[in-house]
Amino acid sequence: MAVMTAPENTPVWVNTDRCKACDICVDACPAGVLSMRPDPHSTLGANIEIVYAEACIGCNECELSCPDFAIYVAEKKEYKFAKLTDSAKARQEAIEKNGYRLPEDWKEA
Amino acid sequence: MAFNYDEYLRLEKMPTLWCWGCGDGIVLKAFVRAVDKLQIPKDDICVVSGIGCSGRFSSYVDFNTIHTTHGRTPAYATGVKLANPDKTVVCVTGDGDALAIGGNHTIHAARRNIDITFIVIQNFIYGLTNSQTSPTTPQGMWTVTQKIGNIDPAFDACRLVEAAGASFVAREAVTKPKKLEKVIVEALKHKGFAYVDALTNCHINLGRKNKMVSAMETLDWIDSITLTKPKYDALSEEEKKKYLPTGILKQDTEAEEYCELYQRIIDAHQGKRAKITREEFDQKITI
Amino acid sequence: MAGGDKVVINERGNREIVMIGNHLAAQAAVDCGCKFFGGYPITPSSEVMEYISDALPAVGGTCIQMEDEIAGVAVATGAAMSGVRAMTATSGPGISLKAENLGLAQMAEVPLVVVNVMRGGPSTGLPTRVAQGDINQAKNPSHGDYKSIALCAGTLAECYTETVRAFNLADRFMQPVFVLLDATLGLMHAKAEIPSLEEVQKNIVPRKKFEGDPKDYKPYGVAQDEPAVLNPMFQGYRYHFTGLHHDANGFPTEEIETCRKLIDRLFRKVEEHKDEIESNEEFMIDDADILLIGYGSASLSIKEAVMRLREQGIKAGMFRPITIWPSPEDRMYELGQKFDKVMVVELNQGQYLEEVQRSMGRRDIEKLTKTNGRPFSPQDIIDKVKEVF
Repeated sequence: MAVMTAPENTPVWVNTDRCKACDICVDACPAGVLSMRPDPHSTLGANIEIVYAEACIGCNECELSCPDFAIYVAEKKEYKFAKLTDSAKARQEAIEKNGYRLPEDWKEA
Repeated sequence: MAFNYDEYLRLEKMPTLWCWGCGDGIVLKAFVRAVDKLQIPKDDICVVSGIGCSGRFSSYVDFNTIHTTHGRTPAYATGVKLANPDKTVVCVTGDGDALAIGGNHTIHAARRNIDITFIVIQNFIYGLTNSQTSPTTPQGMWTVTQKIGNIDPAFDACRLVEAAGASFVAREAVTKPKKLEKVIVEALKHKGFAYVDALTNCHINLGRKNKMVSAMETLDWIDSITLTKPKYDALSEEEKKKYLPTGILKQDTEAEEYCELYQRIIDAHQGKRAKITREEFDQKITI
Repeated sequence: MAGGDKVVINERGNREIVMIGNHLAAQAAVDCGCKFFGGYPITPSSEVMEYISDALPAVGGTCIQMEDEIAGVAVATGAAMSGVRAMTATSGPGISLKAENLGLAQMAEVPLVVVNVMRGGPSTGLPTRVAQGDINQAKNPSHGDYKSIALCAGTLAECYTETVRAFNLADRFMQPVFVLLDATLGLMHAKAEIPSLEEVQKNIVPRKKFEGDPKDYKPYGVAQDEPAVLNPMFQGYRYHFTGLHHDANGFPTEEIETCRKLIDRLFRKVEEHKDEIESNEEFMIDDADILLIGYGSASLSIKEAVMRLREQGIKAGMFRPITIWPSPEDRMYELGQKFDKVMVVELNQGQYLEEVQRSMGRRDIEKLTKTNGRPFSPQDIIDKVKEVF
């Protein structure tokens, strides 16, 4: 069963059991919140990870684009989401360029 | 709380057997959200699917569900709907299912304007059987049966069903999940045959051999061939050939719905309504 | 009656009516609670749809003419899946087209009555002429393993009564049931004596329904010799129909033992209850020396031939299977032991002959067959009997 209730103070959370590592959610995020991480137990060798939860703007694109019901975003009334910043955009670009994985040496500007 | 999809899913059937990144799951999600938005009781919905990847759709949703033979989905759904006119009947099919082997049934269901929501998960290829040409495969694309490049012209299913008599026609891509959910909501609300062309990626069996290896690349391609209806309408006829219009393309709320027409036959036979006279009928004949 | 035909109630309380066989089959459906008909015009069965298109809406039911034969069976099956009694009618070429969807109804265990008014084949054949060439087709119209039920009317009245029986059997065994008529019976316009409406309605046996907690409902989780229990839709018991191999809940599976048991059950639910399905007529066979076996409209000529042969001192009798599939193989075996002289008379090249040979375990069985679209005359049969015996 998926966790339906938002873990406290969490804008976005995942059910890694359902993730097929398609990268779509990472691609859909405008704010560099998500990244794939290596996972030797996954068919495609990766699984979803939330790397910068605090940057989530609550746009819900990741959840709506996930074909496998693996990712959830809190409702706007339950969580005060961040605004989209330039550094979040830059991080998102770096993640996309790096094959949907946050570069290991990533440093926030 | 986030949206509770699990209430509508058959969890023991998860994960779906669709490939990673398959847009079928996005359509499934949009559909579930649309049903929830309209608060249609689960018992009052029947989902009918056919053969192909889309055929598995029905087994994942916790409604009354039928997985039929290849292409016959509209006919089975017509049976369910006519026998239960007050219930919500939804077909979920694919481009090969609805437009090739089942093309005849699709146009005739549209012609009758029977109150069925008809979602075609349109991925431009036969995905389940590994890359054979579908009626919507763009000319020039590689398919396993046309390796030099598909020579068969594709047809625009939305124009087809519109010409056939569908009173609601819409198209949206899985790259715009919010819009997709919206058109499904409108389709479910519509009284009459409501056709939704849900453009979807099959990066595995269309993309890989057509230089779109990942889900994202295939989705980007879909974005590149779609334009919202107002933008599309503004194009020259020559330019229009490169795009498929999206959004609600037709919405006729006046068209007579088939079950309601049939109720008139029942009423006439039961004496609740005068049988139409020859003179009245002469005035009513529509060609 | 829908056509405005005059009905007379006779001293036995039965109805006497002058009608064609196709109309009788349609009226039977309406009388026993059929609420849905889907079809496509085809000679010589079109009169079924013509009649029922008035008769069904009069009782609040629905008749729809579909875009093709395939849709005709699919729409009826869809309605049946939702829980109503449904029927389709066609002729051999239509069954050929419907075959795949009849397979789905077999696999998903959907009760459906399929009237086949047989005409000359193969292919377009002899559309307006009689034949009994769809016997083998009725046994296995679709690919794969399953056990068909096919009833064959031999009189006008049976066009009515066998259709009623087909509906009850379809709901009992949860599968399509064929009613085989032929061009002679379907279009024969004569008097038929049929049971009163009250009698028919009193004997309706609706399909079984699960009444417990939906959580405990397993539509296909039944005893190995029983059919699925499929509740009507929209009543709180949400389940799944599929033509794939499926588990107790109706969901696709490839689990080895589940797959084996499913097909085994499709056979056993019929084979182990043959006594509920089997129906034969035995005409003057007690003192007979010669056994003629025939069914459908051919049996009318056989009966006449038996009478005339007896006038000439030749003791013939007739065995007529009304349930063609599953065949009355045990009874035919007994008769094969009793009679030396056996002849099968049928309007094909010997399709049921093979079943008689198999059931009797004998190959020395005479045959009289005909495939030119014309019925047997009693004299044809008399001549053949005198020739071979």
